Amino acid sequence: MRALSIGATGMLAQQMNVEVISNNIANMNTTGYKRGRAEFNDLLYQDLRRVGAASSDAGTIVPSGVQVGLGVKAAAVYRITEQGNITITDNSLDLAINGRGYFEIEMPTGEIAYTRAGSFQLSPTGDMVTPDGYLVMPGITIPPQVTSISINNNGEVFVQLDGQVNPTRVGQLELAAFPNEAGLEAIGDNLFLETAASGGALASVPGKDGFGAILQGALETSNVNVVSEITNLITAQRAYEMNSKVIQAADEMMQNVNQLR
Amino acid sequence: MENPSYITLSRQTVLRRQMDVLANNLANMSTPAFKAEALMVIEHESPISTQGPRGMRNVSFVKDLATVRDLSEGALVHTDNPLDVAISGDGYFAIETDDGERYTRKGSFMLDGEGRLVTTAGQPVLDDRSRPIVVPPGSGEIEIAQDGTISARDPLLPGQNVVLGRFKVVAFENEYTLKREANGLNRPGAGADPEPVAAPTVFQGMIEKSNVNGIVEMTRLIETVRNFQSASKVVDDEHERQRKAIETLTRSSLSA
Repeated sequence: MRALSIGATGMLAQQMNVEVISNNIANMNTTGYKRGRAEFNDLLYQDLRRVGAASSDAGTIVPSGVQVGLGVKAAAVYRITEQGNITITDNSLDLAINGRGYFEIEMPTGEIAYTRAGSFQLSPTGDMVTPDGYLVMPGITIPPQVTSISINNNGEVFVQLDGQVNPTRVGQLELAAFPNEAGLEAIGDNLFLETAASGGALASVPGKDGFGAILQGALETSNVNVVSEITNLITAQRAYEMNSKVIQAADEMMQNVNQLR
Repeated sequence: MENPSYITLSRQTVLRRQMDVLANNLANMSTPAFKAEALMVIEHESPISTQGPRGMRNVSFVKDLATVRDLSEGALVHTDNPLDVAISGDGYFAIETDDGERYTRKGSFMLDGEGRLVTTAGQPVLDDRSRPIVVPPGSGEIEIAQDGTISARDPLLPGQNVVLGRFKVVAFENEYTLKREANGLNRPGAGADPEPVAAPTVFQGMIEKSNVNGIVEMTRLIETVRNFQSASKVVDDEHERQRKAIETLTRSSLSA
């Protein structure tokens, strides 16, 4: 019976749906997290049109033969790169991007990763680093004797040195953008890698060429909407149950056949 | 003599196929723009005798003629994703595939590495001049107007929007002749030519949900199982009747 395996594809799809939703809910407080959405496609169709069926008189409806679908499959887990809310933290090294763009991070392997989680810190040598200690590109070093750090909308970093009237410019942050942000590969720790699907990174100065502006003392929260996630969870669970009922029903029909002599 | 069994068999074959269709509907409850299907069943008369009253010369078998789609529009839901597009009313998006042009109402698009607007399977979406829609790198937010015009903030001219194209939205005179393929695509049947929709209504940031109604499908599911059980009962009773007939007839012939 096809219904058995079709029901199974439905259950698998809904299970995946629940997994994606639970990951979204688990990350509702993760800085810069972008919610995922499971996308489904119908599987192929089997033609069961028998000879003569199409030539019969069918009244007003023109039949297209008997086509039976074989279930559903997961097409993609799509990342929705909508802007998250901005919350004020008043920490001078917390940076939020308002608009397009990713911070560039140098991994210990030398690879470049990208992130929107701008909760940066200073290393023992005064370099601006991520919470994991990875360097923020293009490398900004804060001298030890500063009294305050200020970063403007265009990513210019100024420090106030003790005993000086004017602030000193110590560096310029850069942002990278991609033709297809959803195609970036997530590697955990809020970091992403460039892929063939994302297209090549285009680097520029924040606040220009369509890039987002930097906000100091603020963080971008996750863009998870808990109410809609819970609603999706309920729908997914009910759909899962209905698919399990299909399997039960198909089983009952087969049991019935077995009881015939 | 075996007619009752064969008629019941035709009924059970149809019910089993109906079960497959129901299972496929329920499996695709979360597939965007999926259209629920129903099995169309017809009577198939077959002569058994040339004598007797007119009404008793034929027996009716049952057979499935077609799967018919419920073409009603699924609910449009907000996703806030700028690349989700839903068509309200008539129309299909045109998609380029290796086997030629295909049509779909599933508007959950994305961009590929070259900036082309593609389906989840990576097939380019076509504009009204049958070319792929390309979003140049560095463009800002993509805006899709209600008539299907796609524009984006120009990367070189600040504050100006540039039109990137307009969705090719087509309609068919008879949508029932469309053949379903995987991934929500449809292939036009012979003689069914797509005609461009003059004034389509598309909504950005929305998606058309599957029009499968879980309650209706579950009710049909129960009905199908019960009908199948009744048919099995008929087969059982028919078997019993024949057994008894043979028993009684052989006994009477032996005692005679």
